[in-house]
Amino acid sequence: MADAAVVGAGMTEFGVHDTTLQELFGEAAFAALDDAGVEADALDALYFGNAMGGQTENETHLGPRVASHIGAAGLPVQRFEDACATSANAFKNAVQAVDAGVHDIVLVGGVERCTPVTGKETPEMTRIFASASHRQYEQPTGLTFPGVFALLTKRHMHEHGTTEEQLAAVAVKNHAHGTHNPRAHFGKETTVEEVLEGPVVADPFRLMDCCPFSDGASAVVVVGGDLADSFDAPVDVGGVGHATDVVPLGDKADLTATQAARDAASEAYEEAGITAGDADFAEVHDCFTGAEVLASEAIGFAPDGEGGTYAAEGRTSLSGDRPVNPSGGLKAKGHPIGATGTAQIVELTEQIRGTAGERQVTDSEVGVAHNLGGDAATTVVSVLEAHS
Amino acid sequence: MSDLSYDEWADAVREGRLLGLACSCGHTNGSPTAACPHCGSRDLERVDLPTEGVVHTETTIQVPPATFETRGYQVVVVEVGDARVMGRVEGDEVDIGDRVTLAGTIAEDDDHPAPVFEAR
Ligand SMILES: [Zn+2]
Repeated sequence: MADAAVVGAGMTEFGVHDTTLQELFGEAAFAALDDAGVEADALDALYFGNAMGGQTENETHLGPRVASHIGAAGLPVQRFEDACATSANAFKNAVQAVDAGVHDIVLVGGVERCTPVTGKETPEMTRIFASASHRQYEQPTGLTFPGVFALLTKRHMHEHGTTEEQLAAVAVKNHAHGTHNPRAHFGKETTVEEVLEGPVVADPFRLMDCCPFSDGASAVVVVGGDLADSFDAPVDVGGVGHATDVVPLGDKADLTATQAARDAASEAYEEAGITAGDADFAEVHDCFTGAEVLASEAIGFAPDGEGGTYAAEGRTSLSGDRPVNPSGGLKAKGHPIGATGTAQIVELTEQIRGTAGERQVTDSEVGVAHNLGGDAATTVVSVLEAHS
Repeated sequence: MSDLSYDEWADAVREGRLLGLACSCGHTNGSPTAACPHCGSRDLERVDLPTEGVVHTETTIQVPPATFETRGYQVVVVEVGDARVMGRVEGDEVDIGDRVTLAGTIAEDDDHPAPVFEAR
């Protein structure tokens, strides 16, 4: 078990924010600090994630800027970029730092704006997102990120018989969960029929198989285990795993395995001393419906080949035996790239505290977060547990 | 270290050839790296990959990035011998398992070529 705890958590609504990056981050950061009951002067460091600010808004070297905005200039700030796994990597490094005794109290979080408030419409933002695929061996084909996951999902459908209806069931489930999340980008339900009638983005994915472009920020306060009891509502970090896989995707050993997720999950479960069966729920990286199918298999929430079946049968619903994405996931909650990883940690924290309201998972003592970056090339898996 | 650079790989693609790197561990790389991505060996042999192969997976992209002007193009990963390469399909659409053959290149993205395949 990692010698670390999450003692504060906060996030903005995910959606459209015509607000500067530092103001957006500040809202999440102060929510996390207030939840922990500490001021910025108590912090030893900031671990900060932003994936694409240089490309989307001509903003780099954001660390000191956001630290200044929240009254924490002077702190050591490390900034992380790992595509969509950006702030989970920041979280991992913060956990390791407090576990090792390098720091006592750390703020971890991320911010991103991806909607047209950046001045970038869909074609330009699609191109910026595609920069996380291989410049020489993938991008020249015109590959997009829906395309990346379409290639992986088509192979899964071929090998395991996963159907478009099963993919649509993932979207229906996550939209239903999102209706219970006041911070979700989308707050309305959908149906399998509605998903299957949508325009194709990259087959088998239609519009409703894809997460939205979102703006938002999230943050958590992480402390060493010896300090956990001095806070009101600590949640223990059981373990964190982090692995990469071969890029470009054609050279991966197995396109449907998402091997980095399997390796990261094994590492996190081993550190936490659990198996997948001991976990009560998971937040996974459902940037596309097919991505949730692959993820739920990779972290052991469904047997290989049955991720789609589990969704269609309701087993991964809030009321099912293996709940996945009670927050609504990226699909309904939204996906402001650099904020997504720590937003998953926010959801785990609230679920384990039992404060998730209408979307509360029953008996939620152990939660798993799966945050994936690039063409399934980076994955961070984190296990959080009720404080012992 | 392997002696196959990106520029040599790209020149070969423009000439209608696919170059790869074979490792003694059994993996053959469809795109050049300095060492085997699976075992780390730097002792890789440059090989000419077959220009015919089988579709491993495919998708048709209807929402392209800004630099690509026409929508509705098919992107494939093709098994060529022991390696896989990513490319485009022109002509009839193909399915997983279909046989395809190298038919040229596209260079819509600056001067970066991508192999183009067509159904056999
Ligand atoms: Zn090798």
